[in-house]
Amino acid sequence: MSSGAGREPVFPTRQSLGLMKGKLKGAQVGHDLLKRKSEALTKRFREITKRIDDAKRKMGRVMQIAAFSLAEVTYATGNDGIKYQITESVRTAKFRVRTRQENVSGVFLPQFESWQMEGASEFGMTGLGKGGQQVAKSRETYTRAVETLVELASLQTAFVILDEVIKVVNRRVNAIEHVIIPRTENTIKYINSELDELDREEFFRLKKVKNVKERAAAAEEAERMKKRRTNSDKENEDADSGQTDGASNMLGDEGDEDVIF
Amino acid sequence: MAEGMFYNVTGGYVEGIVRGYRNQLLTGQNYGNLTQCETIDDVKLQLGPSYGDYLAALPPNPSTSALADKTMDKLVAEFRYLQANATGSLAKFMEYLTYAYMIDNVALLITGTLHERDTRELLERCHPLGWFETMPVLCVATNIEELYNSVLIETPLAAYFKGSLSHQDLDELNIEIIRNTLYKNYLEDFYRFVTEEPGIKGTPTADVMVEVLEFEADRRSINITLNSFGTELSKQDRKKLYPSFGRLHPEGTLMLSRADDAEGVRIAIDGVQDYRTMMDQTGMGGGSGLGNQSGGIGGDEGKSLEDLFYLKEMEISKLAFTYQFTHAVVYAWVKLKEQEIRNITWIAECIAQSQKDRIGNYISVF
Repeated sequence: MSSGAGREPVFPTRQSLGLMKGKLKGAQVGHDLLKRKSEALTKRFREITKRIDDAKRKMGRVMQIAAFSLAEVTYATGNDGIKYQITESVRTAKFRVRTRQENVSGVFLPQFESWQMEGASEFGMTGLGKGGQQVAKSRETYTRAVETLVELASLQTAFVILDEVIKVVNRRVNAIEHVIIPRTENTIKYINSELDELDREEFFRLKKVKNVKERAAAAEEAERMKKRRTNSDKENEDADSGQTDGASNMLGDEGDEDVIF
Repeated sequence: MAEGMFYNVTGGYVEGIVRGYRNQLLTGQNYGNLTQCETIDDVKLQLGPSYGDYLAALPPNPSTSALADKTMDKLVAEFRYLQANATGSLAKFMEYLTYAYMIDNVALLITGTLHERDTRELLERCHPLGWFETMPVLCVATNIEELYNSVLIETPLAAYFKGSLSHQDLDELNIEIIRNTLYKNYLEDFYRFVTEEPGIKGTPTADVMVEVLEFEADRRSINITLNSFGTELSKQDRKKLYPSFGRLHPEGTLMLSRADDAEGVRIAIDGVQDYRTMMDQTGMGGGSGLGNQSGGIGGDEGKSLEDLFYLKEMEISKLAFTYQFTHAVVYAWVKLKEQEIRNITWIAECIAQSQKDRIGNYISVF
């Protein structure tokens, strides 16, 4: 049989035939199920790929605007120290991320959600003297940029996980389709052929036995016939020794052998 | 006219040099060329005539901040040269110029100390114009009280700290409030200096500088008011940050201190024609307090209030050169040069980020 499928090392018995048939059935059902799962996942995967594409494009734009707004801040405040001041004056994160899980046909995908802490911002007064409005504006722009980033992050994670799972599922589907099912079929075929062989052997053996028995029976018959004939000859000789010729070859078939069927 | 007779004895050389520097400033045509550039290298090339030596050390395609640093180096070198040649009241005047940058530097060091950073690293970030000899001493301070004491002892800013800020304040107040309190004290002191110093009083220097400083004071008051909306800065605290002079003082600042929104600011500054027109131009009378300059990529035509303030400052600085025998030209030159550096940075940034549609947002003076 093809592709090295081989067969499983079983004794060709009726019991293992039953087992194999059960196995084949199971494999086919499993194959169907897995195939459907793989299709569902692939559908989702395509959707996510599309959304990642969108998100990446969007992020390119948003990041560009954000970087530019930082340039505006530098322009408005006139020095670079502002960056240091802002990074130093932040104590707690205002923009936070939480995760939850989403179940897609048995695969758990983490989803990141961004939310903002209530309360005044940490560096609300930065640039009080000059450039404060630009700082505030820049903060908003960067908030939007980070939101996009978070969205992209959850998509990207889902992408990686789904990719992995799809690979595993596809491997299983292929394994079942190309290895397990052919092998099981092979085994069944082998068992069947072995069983047929056994049947034929049995039949032949029986026939042979019958043959031998019949021959034995025929031989016995012939023996008995011979014995009886010699007995009757003796009687004939005793009774009429004169007319031996005429009586002995009445049919003219002394030389014939017994025909055995 | 006495100042005209004797000014050149002490200040003539420096004034001449400054006027020479002024002629080196980029013109509208230079800016036109700069905006046509495709890469930072082109910008560097275009800047060659005025910045030649300073840009030579830059690697190909430098970052915009490196470019800005180098242009700043030139300003600093020229300023140092002037300072070395200045005598008498001019020397004092130039010291006053550096105080503004010192305030920024000290604020930076305070921030660093508060967060227990290694302040020595911060020295590099300090504005070179605000550098004073004893600044490294401040880095020795490990806690805020030590820092406070060394600021009092070692820096020329002691007068601005004394009386309005204690060392507890450094710990408790927001650094921005400290900075603006210092700046307010500095402006008032500078104002007092130009109006009362014997060598300056009654000279054109006083005339020009009063105008400049009043404008600066008003600008700060208005900016602080606008920027404080939506923050935890209370109205009383806000009022303390307004300098006690200027064209808005005292009625305008009083009204500013009570303003709750942009509309309130508008009413407060209604009495001064210049600022009212500025407000009208930004269309800020009714609603959004945000500058249009930062309106994202949309490319708003209007300018933000800060842009207009910068524009006005440049105009004043430009006009200062119409006076003779005055220290104010030094101030004007520094401001013009700073604006030029900001313009270059802006143009370079626009080119680096390929946002050519906003490239025209610089302020060309000449």
